[in-house]
Amino acid sequence: MVDATEHELVPEHHLVEEERLEEILDEYNIDRTDLPKIKRLDPALRDVDAEAGDVIRIERDSRTTDTAIVYRLVIE
Amino acid sequence: MAVSEDIELVVEDTQLPRRLKNEVYSVLNEKGISDVETADQVAQRVEHEYVESRVDPLDPVGTVSAQSIGEPGTQMTMNTFHYAGVAEIDVTQGLPRLIELVDARKTPDTPTMKVNLEPEFANDRDRAHEVVWKIEATRILALGDVSTNVADMLVSIDLNEETLRERWPTVDSLDLIVNDISETIESELGVETYHQGTTVEFGPDEPSYRDLLQLVEELRDIVFKGIGDISRVVIRKEEIEGQDEQEFVLHTEGAAFGKVLEIEGVDASRTTTNNIHEVYRVLGVEAARERIIEETMDTLAEQGLDDVNIRHLMLVADIMTNNGEIESIGRHGISGNKESVLARAAFEVTVNHLLDAAVHGESDELDGVTENVIIGKPIKLGTGDVTLRMGASAPSE
Repeated sequence: MVDATEHELVPEHHLVEEERLEEILDEYNIDRTDLPKIKRLDPALRDVDAEAGDVIRIERDSRTTDTAIVYRLVIE
Repeated sequence: MAVSEDIELVVEDTQLPRRLKNEVYSVLNEKGISDVETADQVAQRVEHEYVESRVDPLDPVGTVSAQSIGEPGTQMTMNTFHYAGVAEIDVTQGLPRLIELVDARKTPDTPTMKVNLEPEFANDRDRAHEVVWKIEATRILALGDVSTNVADMLVSIDLNEETLRERWPTVDSLDLIVNDISETIESELGVETYHQGTTVEFGPDEPSYRDLLQLVEELRDIVFKGIGDISRVVIRKEEIEGQDEQEFVLHTEGAAFGKVLEIEGVDASRTTTNNIHEVYRVLGVEAARERIIEETMDTLAEQGLDDVNIRHLMLVADIMTNNGEIESIGRHGISGNKESVLARAAFEVTVNHLLDAAVHGESDELDGVTENVIIGKPIKLGTGDVTLRMGASAPSE
């Protein structure tokens, strides 16, 4: 299988630490289940050791600003 | 960029995103503005406009996006028109393509790939061709003439030497190539073959006219080289993005994204396909989101409708990939998964939804827009979700 993380379409995926996560959720005043989802077996997560329930921080090159940071909840 | 530190200070102090800040700098430079006061005014004004143009809380962004994509959509060509375009490859365009994208069809009507090559292959036409033959499916009719000899119950293939040399550029011996071909036939059809020179012959085990024709049929389908799904590959010389140089790029008819990325010589970091599901499978949900935006924008731009703001398409792509996989917009996807019975019934197949809801005893919380429009109550958006009290003074202490 090809390494998806090498492809230019794939932004960087990192695991968010629990303490940091609380701050983020507080900032937006949401629950973690309100976040967009990402499957545990998503090819872009091959280098990330993620379990269902973890939150992934994604740093996209944005078309409207410089970089956009989004979070996805790992499911299944 | 030559701006003074003071100017930098006032510009950096604004809420503007990086891109706009840079634009402010370049305009200040261009106009030769060097005094801080003026620069500050410019920056303030830009910031004011920026803040003004942001979406207000409770703005119905989805509805605005729907209108903004829907209106130009009415101007698009209704017919798929296949044309011998720049790449000489037929691609579905216009409205049918847009529909295909938001419906998230499993395979597009005309799957295609843009295959970028590693530097050593991308600058040399012969080496680029090596990759072409690894990708394009080679079937027997491309290699030579097939004839049936009914008297001897034999299928005989007269291979074309030139074609063989061209399609197996890395193999020197003609014999090896012919051997390779007859072995493929033997393993695929389960018959014994005899070959001499460039002629390969074989026949059915028992003399039977039907079996003989059957063998010819099956022979036509065998893929000797390349990937079965890809029927044609075109080489084009294209500009490298952001550079003055050119390189060879392959365009394919048919797609097999995962397989192609693993082929030697293919640049697995830039190659893409118009099949968003394959992108999802191979590269994940984020890459699929990116491709949805690119494909929808390209489809609109191709029809001269590129003044649709990219944010609307980003919203569409965000919603389609919200669940960690690609969902279509429509009855089987986003709209069909709505919580509210009335909202679903209002979209498509009204009776089925109402019937199912009645059977399962569902209730409707009346949270959304559609439900409230149906029952004639104010919607919880925009001014419908705030209460204003006129003339009330702020609590003094």
